[in-house]
Amino acid sequence: MAALAPPTTATAILPEPAIPEKTKADEKVDYFNLPCPIPYEEIHREALMSLKPELFEGMRFDFTKGLNQKFSLSHSVFMGPTEVPSQSAETIKIPTAHYEFGANFIDPKLMLFGRILTDGRLNARVKCDLTDNLILKANAQLTNEPHMSHGMLNFDYKGSDFRTQFQLGNGALFGASYIQSVTPHFSMGGEVFWAGQHRKSGIGYAARFNTDKMVATGQVASTGMVALSYVQKISEKVSLASDFMYNYMSRDVTASFGYDYILRQCRLRGKIDSNGCVAAFLEERLNMGLNFILSAELDHRKKDYKFGFGLTVGE
Amino acid sequence: MASQSRKGGISLPERRNPKKDESKSIILRISQSEIVARGKQAATDAAFVTKKLLKSTSKAAWIAGTTFLILVVPLIIEMDREQQMNDLELQQASLLGTPSSSQK
Repeated sequence: MAALAPPTTATAILPEPAIPEKTKADEKVDYFNLPCPIPYEEIHREALMSLKPELFEGMRFDFTKGLNQKFSLSHSVFMGPTEVPSQSAETIKIPTAHYEFGANFIDPKLMLFGRILTDGRLNARVKCDLTDNLILKANAQLTNEPHMSHGMLNFDYKGSDFRTQFQLGNGALFGASYIQSVTPHFSMGGEVFWAGQHRKSGIGYAARFNTDKMVATGQVASTGMVALSYVQKISEKVSLASDFMYNYMSRDVTASFGYDYILRQCRLRGKIDSNGCVAAFLEERLNMGLNFILSAELDHRKKDYKFGFGLTVGE
Repeated sequence: MASQSRKGGISLPERRNPKKDESKSIILRISQSEIVARGKQAATDAAFVTKKLLKSTSKAAWIAGTTFLILVVPLIIEMDREQQMNDLELQQASLLGTPSSSQK
């Protein structure tokens, strides 16, 4: 009963390095045997997991059916208003409805995901382990609108105490990142990118400190972004998260605070931020393989209230 | 009488019965005195401030209430459910003498 509690992403929250326990006991850090850090792009993983649930407005229904152990099909229906970007301050909402069909192939060495929507968008993802240390990831998004299709190719190399990634995208996008464990709890990394089409380039640095009770991360980039986050795990079920975002270019600051409760029958996430935005996301496990989702978001400043409910069947 | 006095400037009848006139002028004087005017001003100011305060507190209460409804109420309900389930399990475990983790 307790084992089936974490509804979807809970397993990823568990702290990755198990080795530090041993080194802590020894009181002497073996700098040649450091744990592997988590990927550079996932550095804020825990904070994002608690503070950025997939809030939605309207109704959604997801159904996943496994045909055999490796192959599964997914169907998903969404109905509700979607926001359309506009020049004026007020958001314009247009009611939409779409159906999404997906096919997944999952094997330890190779993962393939495909999604197609009724409005013509196609999304394909590949994750393939070329060798034990080298992973190839590809992501493609095709739309019927011109210049909106994307393609991305990632090569991840995982060393014993470092990770590096090389990124290739359409529009002459190149990126590289590197992250290294400095002590068993502390890792630092950097990235560079160059977007040839937009004639932009940038550089960024990040640091992450994690123990099994807390995670603190900081990231700066030459685009003007400063992001700090802190997650405290109160107990196995409860974690509190806060983050701070500052953009030097646009001078906007956002701080938010949230909680994440993982109980046996449900997972509840709530957050409040400095823009006057309050959000809660509840995933309630009604039955084995049947989840009920409630999403609420109140924006007091814009007077924009969004509520959604959904049902997830199978996985 | 007042109009008469205005017309004729200083006239005798006004002086002849000064008592009646004085009482009137006291009311007049009181109503036109600075204290009353100040009091009136203060009252309107107080009314205005209370109105504003009431408005802003009601707005704050509304925001606090809705925030509470979104953030805390589901949490309380879920914690209660969790507690109930724990109690039930404990009860069953004590009745059966076996860990009831296999049920449900």
